[in-house]
Amino acid sequence: MLHIGNQYLPLCSGGNRRSFLQIGAAAMAGLTLPNWLKLQAAGAVDESKAKIRNCITLFLVGSPGHLDTWDMKPDAPEDIRGKFKPISTSVPGVQICEHFPRMARIMDRVALIRSLHYSTGASHENGQRWMMTGHDFDAANKQPHMGSVISRVYGSRGDLPASILLPTGIGNTGTTTPHGQESAYLGSAHQPFILGSDPARSDFKVADLESPSGQSELRVEARRKLLHEVDDLQRVVETNSTLERDTAYARAFNLLTRPETKKAFDLTEESPKLRDRYGRNTFGQSCLMARRLIERGTRFVTVNQFDTVFGISCWDMHSDGSSLNNTYADYEHILCPQFDLAFTALLEDLQQRGLLEETVIAVISEFGRTPKLNARGGRDHYPSAFTNFLAGGPIRGGRVIGSTDKIGAAPHDRPVEPPQVVASIYQAMGIDLETTMLPGPGGRPVRLIDAEPIRELFS
Amino acid sequence: MDQKLEGTPKATLQLTGRSVTRSEVSNDWGTRLQWQIKRDGKEVATTVAGLDLTYEHPDTAPGKYEVVLQQFHYLNYKKDKDGKFIESKYVNISEPVSYTI
Repeated sequence: MLHIGNQYLPLCSGGNRRSFLQIGAAAMAGLTLPNWLKLQAAGAVDESKAKIRNCITLFLVGSPGHLDTWDMKPDAPEDIRGKFKPISTSVPGVQICEHFPRMARIMDRVALIRSLHYSTGASHENGQRWMMTGHDFDAANKQPHMGSVISRVYGSRGDLPASILLPTGIGNTGTTTPHGQESAYLGSAHQPFILGSDPARSDFKVADLESPSGQSELRVEARRKLLHEVDDLQRVVETNSTLERDTAYARAFNLLTRPETKKAFDLTEESPKLRDRYGRNTFGQSCLMARRLIERGTRFVTVNQFDTVFGISCWDMHSDGSSLNNTYADYEHILCPQFDLAFTALLEDLQQRGLLEETVIAVISEFGRTPKLNARGGRDHYPSAFTNFLAGGPIRGGRVIGSTDKIGAAPHDRPVEPPQVVASIYQAMGIDLETTMLPGPGGRPVRLIDAEPIRELFS
Repeated sequence: MDQKLEGTPKATLQLTGRSVTRSEVSNDWGTRLQWQIKRDGKEVATTVAGLDLTYEHPDTAPGKYEVVLQQFHYLNYKKDKDGKFIESKYVNISEPVSYTI
């Protein structure tokens, strides 16, 4: 059987009632929810027919140097091997950076892909698009984010959006081209919901889930009743598409008013000890929120570790002495420890709750970094070789896919390209890539990805 | 959106002979932990506080030793020309313990 997405979603166009709703409902309810709520009314997937899994993607914006993290070359010359030392892991023969001691203990649950590479441009945006859509840049044919594809194929589960970006979308990373975190031709119904707020802050609130100032929940409820009354009057002359529209508005109201939905975003419900375990920082608390969202029905959560590479401590280790002045000091004192804590907390937390088997964790980045240290002791962009990794779901841990040459300059064996990683994530989530198609540009069916999954991840 | 470190981390230390055992860190920022060792009031060593909660400083030169647990406090990105942080720095997150050799 050939599946075209989840089900056909007629988009609203024209009509007096809708115009009324578009203009009136937002004002009446004080809603500022993104477009996905206006359009998204996907039906539920019959989960009894397929093993559907969820995914949490940790996107390491800026990109760690592979030689400084998960593909170390301790026997290479000093200006290549860098400053850090490797340590042994729970998997014999597999070593990683000394600053990931917790990850070293759980390597038996992680599958490293050390031979990732691509040959097109080395901009951040190019790498973001490759790793989050599986496609190279084509201005005339933009491709959807993995979360949008999942939203289209699986639809929503409960009141939460199918795909959520935490804590915010990627902003300025150098050029103005897209970051690969958009729904593209799938339309705004499948645009990821962007949290847009820092869950590490004590005053954290989800802006879109708060009633505007001066509007009590009672008032929002009163407006919902008013909308219902208008609906009752209109329904007799309306069509099925209106009912789907109603679903979107009902979901908007649910997000605003249902305690269970709002609770999904409430980290104060977690024990202080568990919050400590993830790390009391933006990335750590975002990872914890990702677990809560998956637990409550979101299918695909993307955690962007950073939203820019300029003027902040991030993986983009150019050591340029200016706005890209990340150095080994950032890796050693901040980035590696925070990642080590949050990633292992997430994996162990999911496992303890029985969710790891049904949740794929993908740790991805734009590219690797130059094998040879630059004159300032940093490393620059390098898409010819890099390491990403997967865990959870059906992914077989404790293995290393591919390798690089003696200086980490190019794949030595089993070269892997970004679309294969994306295909592997889809397959791990339970999608049959042979029979599942998307309604592509112009409505013609297109494959989710033109690549085969990495078979060694599953066998 | 720069990294936000919320709250104040804290740990307690227990001294047994020259061996120091720390508690888990409450309100852990997730940044690197290190032991700072002073002898007669002057810093003589810092070393990563790894997963092992217990640490014993190997130095046996006579003097009064003071050991404290520190965590890196990321305030901002500012660095000097050598790429070292200017305002972000290690801060004490425990009370010190001391012994004399």
